[in-house]
Amino acid sequence: MNSTATFAEERNPTDWQGDVMQKRIRKRYAAERRFKALGLGAIILSAGFLAFLLIVMVGNGLRGFTQTELPVEIDFPAMTGGAAASQFEGANGQANLRTLGVQDIVNASVQIQYGEKGTELFSAGGWQAVSAAILTDPKIVETKTTLYLPVEAEIDVAYKSDGSASAEQKVTELDDKLSTGFNKNFLFNSDATDPMQVGIWGALKGSLITMFITLIIAFPIGVLSALYLEEYAPKNRFTDLIEVSINNLAAVPSIIFGLLGLAVFLNLFGLPRSAALVGGLTLALMTMPVIVISGRNAVKAVPPSIREAALGIGASQMQVVFHHVLPLALPGILTGTIIGMARALGETAPLLMIGMRAFIATPPSGIVEPATVLPVQIFLWSDEVNRGFVEKTSAAIIVLLLFLLTMNALAIYLRNRFETRW
Amino acid sequence: MTGSILFLLIIVLGGISWFFGRVKASRFSITHTKRGAVHSLPNYHGWYVALWAVGPALLFLVVWNFASPALITDAALASPAAEQLPQDAFAKGSILAEARSIASGQQVRAFNPLSQSMVEPYKTAISYYQTLGAIAAILLAFAGGVYSWLRLKPELRARTKIERITMMALLLASLIATITTVGIFASLIFESARFFSMVSPIDFLFGTEWNPKAVAGPRGETGFGAIPLFWGTVFIGAIIAMIVAIPLGLMSAIYLTQYAAPRFRAWMKPILEVLAGVPTVVYGYFAALTVAPALRDFAVSIGISGASSESALAAGVVMGIMIIPFVSSMADDSIAAVPSAMRDGSLAMGATKSETIKKVLIPAALPGVVGGVLLAVSRAIGETMIVVMAAGLAANMTANPFSSVTTVTTQIVQLLTGDQEFDSPKTLAAFALGLVLFIVTLLLNLIALRVVKKYREAYE
Repeated sequence: MNSTATFAEERNPTDWQGDVMQKRIRKRYAAERRFKALGLGAIILSAGFLAFLLIVMVGNGLRGFTQTELPVEIDFPAMTGGAAASQFEGANGQANLRTLGVQDIVNASVQIQYGEKGTELFSAGGWQAVSAAILTDPKIVETKTTLYLPVEAEIDVAYKSDGSASAEQKVTELDDKLSTGFNKNFLFNSDATDPMQVGIWGALKGSLITMFITLIIAFPIGVLSALYLEEYAPKNRFTDLIEVSINNLAAVPSIIFGLLGLAVFLNLFGLPRSAALVGGLTLALMTMPVIVISGRNAVKAVPPSIREAALGIGASQMQVVFHHVLPLALPGILTGTIIGMARALGETAPLLMIGMRAFIATPPSGIVEPATVLPVQIFLWSDEVNRGFVEKTSAAIIVLLLFLLTMNALAIYLRNRFETRW
Repeated sequence: MTGSILFLLIIVLGGISWFFGRVKASRFSITHTKRGAVHSLPNYHGWYVALWAVGPALLFLVVWNFASPALITDAALASPAAEQLPQDAFAKGSILAEARSIASGQQVRAFNPLSQSMVEPYKTAISYYQTLGAIAAILLAFAGGVYSWLRLKPELRARTKIERITMMALLLASLIATITTVGIFASLIFESARFFSMVSPIDFLFGTEWNPKAVAGPRGETGFGAIPLFWGTVFIGAIIAMIVAIPLGLMSAIYLTQYAAPRFRAWMKPILEVLAGVPTVVYGYFAALTVAPALRDFAVSIGISGASSESALAAGVVMGIMIIPFVSSMADDSIAAVPSAMRDGSLAMGATKSETIKKVLIPAALPGVVGGVLLAVSRAIGETMIVVMAAGLAANMTANPFSSVTTVTTQIVQLLTGDQEFDSPKTLAAFALGLVLFIVTLLLNLIALRVVKKYREAYE
């Protein structure tokens, strides 16, 4: 005690105002500012990556929703030999249209206007737009009509951005006639070999069916196991085993689930390859741990007083859980479920393993039919050589991101609206 | 199709039984007015009857589904058309399989004329056994419903029984996770064992040449040396991605927790988390379409040889961006867990904020940060789509980030999406790679959780 006091007396007080100390303080403050700027820089850089990614995707993708068109004047009365509009109305319309030979009519009209090689300017499936136009308004077959038909993919790319030299040249030749219109094909068609004819409907429907299967399997199992683990499970080795396996499953790489699906669902159970059923099952196994973990947190957040009150007025253990705890925990569980489902919706790798990468040109109409899903479709299109697919891929990405955004917004809304803090 | 109609029919029968059970039980409280004379509420009686109607019938259908193919085959073999079949068991089996798939509508045309002749017997057998099964299931549902309905009594302990069954359902549901884990492990081990019976594990784990396409016949296999894949995985996932993700993630977490105004934090945190929510296929496309060509042009312009349009750097950088939120949220948690007394003490001694962070908070939070990084690495090496789309297929052992390398996950996809013969070492190699990946990620996760847990205990 005594010695410390003498030590303090002997020591000169620090001269805080002196040059040396001031310089040192300035240095330390500069370091402080640098560090803070570094932190801000890290955040801005990370957010910048996100912004850049979105801008690139939206910039490329918006063009995918439009198509370049050329006007074609079709003299239906002359070409068809006087077909009546009534032929194409009602139930027999489709069949009559097939006998009409729309493709030949369109090709002939194109050759009249754009010369012998005129058909090369147009997308090979472009005549289907004429069929669709006749079915929606049969009256046009009795008149001379001008319809806008999609051009061939290279010219489409060249007109919207920059393409190959030969295509650019054609664009300059046709410049006053070319126009852009909304690409209906993209929303209502399925996969095709011609980028002008591809659409996402098939993949979207496949995704919806797969997600439905995932939901009806993963949700009940996830909720029931969350309830069991939180409300009933005795503390013993066995419960520990269940807990460890759930936590591990949540961290297993998704491709491993694909291997499991391949080995068990396809090879052992003999379920059909590439089917939405198998995809849904595989994704359900992947989503279930997410639901269990969020479900347990939601159940844990229900205060014990609620359970005790219910028990106090004579409810059984099961009634307490199913009549009181579960309804109160449901918003939290739903939030976790939506987040898990959003992850499953964006998942690609496990679905590639179970063969969902086939070329599927018709939308699936059942759970065992060959199907593809949106992320896999994006992957398949990204591999295509034709430049027309670049914008289609980005457009499909926009659709996928919109779905994910909606789901996450729904989850946030649910959390804010219904989650009670006790 | 008939299967789902039958299923719906049984469910409807269950609903009807529930209704009748409930109606009968709701009279009990009128006739038995003495307190405690009726054990359960009418609802429980309803469920009791419904479960008796649905349960046995569905159970029967499941058993029938497994048993009927053998019965159908027997019936088809007993038909006169079966006499022309060859004696050889293998040829017979393939004809029968073809006939069955035509009869059930999975296949349109037969390659073998003998199968065509077997289609009719198969069709009759299938429809016969399907009708039989359906009638039996419906009868069973009726019998179960009526039997249990007759047993309804005021003193029947319906609630206890229902609760016991619900309890079983809860337990079963929570077992699924364990079953899945066991299933993953068993299927990987089983298929890998078949692979290692063809290729020596030593060659696989320590060989340096990966070229499964060159493999010709059984035995004498070479080209299954996985070291280049392991190197590629580590190079992209654990080195390049982490060089991007650790500084950015850590500094973001520090800024958001220590410096940012609450409003800024409330906006930026969700925005950064969006990075983790973007599907990996989108990142892969971004890497392949935008990042990789830009990096290649850059490499060529500064004169690096061997620059490829599919580079380790492109895949690694984009993967690092994806990982940022993981690192940042783990760092966030562990910095927040440091007792504020330590921070306040440092500030009170006159240290600046950054000095406090660098010399007190980070060292104290280090185990948590390290745990978070390990989790991030385990996620990065298991990531598939980015590397499939941007990293390439050439199994190079190179430290040049501009050249193309390949990873474990890329090769799994590559091996399993080509031609599919399920017994070739090529296909089975994918499972061996999967096993290695599974074990490594499992170990990383266990270590990470252990590290984080141990550290948390130290401060509580």
